[in-house]
Amino acid sequence: MLKKKPTIWQETLKVAMPLCLSYIPVGLACGILLQKVGFNIFATVLISFLVFSGGAQFLAATMLLDAAPIVSIIMMTLFLELRYILLSSSLSTFMKKEKPSFITIFTRTINDENYAVNYLKFYTDENWTSRKALMVNRYSLASWVISNAIGTFIASGLSLDAHVVDFALTAMFIYMFTMQLQNKLIIFVGLFSGVLAVGSMLLFQNTIGLILATLIASFTGYGIERFLKKNHLEQYLKLQNKNSRHLMDSEATVPHE
Amino acid sequence: MSSQLLYLILGMAFVSFLPRVMPMMYFSKREIPQWFHDWMKYVPAALFASLFFKDVFINSGHLEIWGNIKILAAVIVMGVAYKSKSMGISVVAGLGSILLLYYIF
Repeated sequence: MLKKKPTIWQETLKVAMPLCLSYIPVGLACGILLQKVGFNIFATVLISFLVFSGGAQFLAATMLLDAAPIVSIIMMTLFLELRYILLSSSLSTFMKKEKPSFITIFTRTINDENYAVNYLKFYTDENWTSRKALMVNRYSLASWVISNAIGTFIASGLSLDAHVVDFALTAMFIYMFTMQLQNKLIIFVGLFSGVLAVGSMLLFQNTIGLILATLIASFTGYGIERFLKKNHLEQYLKLQNKNSRHLMDSEATVPHE
Repeated sequence: MSSQLLYLILGMAFVSFLPRVMPMMYFSKREIPQWFHDWMKYVPAALFASLFFKDVFINSGHLEIWGNIKILAAVIVMGVAYKSKSMGISVVAGLGSILLLYYIF
């Protein structure tokens, strides 16, 4: 019997499967929380399909819980989703040949997680195409919408503290943060941003502080990187396991030229 | 579904679509400037940290450190995330530990 080459939908399903599975608990929690603030299944399916963002949907649910006005929820969503400027720009290198119509369809379903999968695939797999990337996006969207719908469906029979379920969002942010930690400078930037965010939230009592903290901390990181590169010290950006004491050892900071 | 909720969903859909579609439309025809590329590396970590620090340390507008079980839960999630590299497992661990900690304290 001849071994058949896997079709595109089979190949991409295999790639997307871990992602789809990881959406199940998050989607369920999100669907439950949405039901608690008055979403029915139709509304949950609509928001999951159109917005497709765990962060934004949890945010909407918690803000509705605090009876926030619709305009401020939309503004906060915009701030939260502004990070996609960066993700979308960094994938654009692989979309040079695509028509605007494809880019419109593709970008609508970009998400943090399918971005991470596709970015890695584009870098490591020379047979990876934008069509395959779109399939991964679609599988993850399907998994997200279905888990949210099930969450809303079962929530009507559950009595849960919405503030406990809300920690699912915090856990998601912590996960995404942890996945970013590739070197010491990024760890520093994160902690700096966190401290700035808490400080400015206490000071202004307004979530605009989060955006300020993100901008200040990320530009500080960029500035430090430039300074280190200029002085040929970039090896100290790397996470060192064995030689970590070198950072404190002033003699070791002399660059080898 | 109320019309208010529909406006909210459509508004959110619009503002989440814009930052996704515009940059790729623009940069798929041009080169990304190097400084932008370098700066981008630091944005996700800074953004996610600011979001979760706010969630963990601020409780209805006030700083909360002593007796804050969310700090312990956050440390657990970080460890699980680092080990498992799975969002699903991390979220389940977060919900499990916060429930358990609420129950204990």
